[in-house]
Amino acid sequence: MRVDRLVLEDFRNYEREEIDLSGGLNLVVGRNAQGKTNLLEAVYCIGGFGSPRGPDATLVREGAERALVHADVTRGERTVHVDLEYRPGRGMRALLNGTAVPGVRALRELTAAVFFGPDELSLIKGSPDGRRRFLDELVVKLRPARDTIKREWDRVLKQRNALLRSAPRGGGPGRSARETLVVWDEAFCKTGAELAAARLEVLAALTPYAAKRYEEVAGGGRLELSYQASWMDGSTGADVESLREALAAALDEVRTRELERGVSLIGPQRDDVAVNLSSAGYQQSLLDARAYASQGDQRTCALALKLGEHDLLTDALGDHPILLLDDVFSELDPARRAWLADAIRGIGQSLVSSAEPGAIESAGAARIIRIEAGRAAAGEPGDG
Amino acid sequence: MAMLYAGPIQDLIDELARMPGIGPKSAQRVAFYLLQASTEDAKRLAHAIVEAKDKVRFCERCFNVSDQDLCEYCRSTRRDPTIICVVQDPPDIVAIERTREYQGLYHVLQGALSPIEGIGPEDLRVAELLKRLRTPEDGSPAVAEVIVATNPNIDGDATAMYLARLISPLGVLVTRLASGMPVGGDLEYADEVTLGRAIEGRRRLEG
Repeated sequence: MRVDRLVLEDFRNYEREEIDLSGGLNLVVGRNAQGKTNLLEAVYCIGGFGSPRGPDATLVREGAERALVHADVTRGERTVHVDLEYRPGRGMRALLNGTAVPGVRALRELTAAVFFGPDELSLIKGSPDGRRRFLDELVVKLRPARDTIKREWDRVLKQRNALLRSAPRGGGPGRSARETLVVWDEAFCKTGAELAAARLEVLAALTPYAAKRYEEVAGGGRLELSYQASWMDGSTGADVESLREALAAALDEVRTRELERGVSLIGPQRDDVAVNLSSAGYQQSLLDARAYASQGDQRTCALALKLGEHDLLTDALGDHPILLLDDVFSELDPARRAWLADAIRGIGQSLVSSAEPGAIESAGAARIIRIEAGRAAAGEPGDG
Repeated sequence: MAMLYAGPIQDLIDELARMPGIGPKSAQRVAFYLLQASTEDAKRLAHAIVEAKDKVRFCERCFNVSDQDLCEYCRSTRRDPTIICVVQDPPDIVAIERTREYQGLYHVLQGALSPIEGIGPEDLRVAELLKRLRTPEDGSPAVAEVIVATNPNIDGDATAMYLARLISPLGVLVTRLASGMPVGGDLEYADEVTLGRAIEGRRRLEG
């Protein structure tokens, strides 16, 4: 799948700009703060997951009412014209071939993109929240119709927390709160188990792809991913029914404390993904990458997760998702730069940004896009 | 929202904006429509609101809207009093009646459980429903089945589950409207939750 032509209107620092993209490697070059990342971000938005960088409200150019992204998207034999509109407070509206589509599922079914930028280091180093979001998004990228699982879970969690909060503290809950808590517990376990099962399935699918990429880029070593949940143990099955039972049993143990604290204390909202690795040469022991890996290793690890995501999506969707690498090369040592430049050749459309064009010359770009102050100029490799 | 118009106009806009489904912009549009309408038209609307408010009340038994003490279904001698269909709001009754498939009575909860909005069982007509089940009206037979027709979403499901736990011990059969594939729909476009429910609630085909 690929984006052939992109028109940005009042999008971040772009007033109005038309950009033609190659189906292969597009090198996006320019000085800092000219709009390179914004261009990659716009392509990611076409996938229907909002901005990879934060609240969608910031997508609108200062002083403008709305931001527009128009794109010709090709998947297989089919080319679809996509119009996106972000209006602060109104959310996003999408048209496919001029016809309004409800929600964002149609966008997610049309394209998939993988974004990797400097902030992605937080995927390893940051809070569990980021790793959960990574998994939950991947669930939906693989199976767009699964977006209801997370939505239902979010609603149940909110309702149950509201109930726990409203239950009188100390001397035991009021009768009606206790009576209704039972039904919210049941909903909590059912939807929570569905969400956890979806995550486990995706993590199991992702792990071999990410591990392979880690070995390649690190030149050895081993990467392992495992789901961490206080309410599961080694014997818990990965099917929805086993997970529901495990969640229900764990809930029984913490319910009194939950009523005291007024919040759900266990469940998928607190789970995490453990990223363990051993560097080349230290084959024997796996260490928690969050705590023990060097900054460089953490970056390699995050890159392996994202490239693994790209590989998994390629196999699952039968087509390369669009790869967006934002300012990644400058952070890597020469050996890893060379490896990455090689790895992104021939894996479909990619947009790779860099402030120092020299860093990726060897990648063999099909097109070079120079960005200056929200204006783009395309050129062939070798120009200027 | 900032005050933009002179007193009475702004008052009207504010009142309209408090209605469900009407935001500030729609409220403004309706307000100016009313101001430009003839005095008779405006008075007729005001009169209709006051009349409805004066004359329409809730049925003493099932809490449907009614212009008498009992609603038309509770008054009717042709309805089956051994079945009660529990719905969230009066418009749900209209939807079910349109099918002409149902001949029993109703009970309107006037909402669904929602801790976020602070709605608990005591805010719904649950106690009144239990009373109907425990002590049938003079001369009417005991209720044999309660059909829970709350909305098929998280809140409606939780409400259904809650009712089932209360009602089953009374020896009354509790059923839930089936959830699943829309008739005339396309399997491949169904979301997984709907499809999952449809598989859960599948029925034997008699060949």
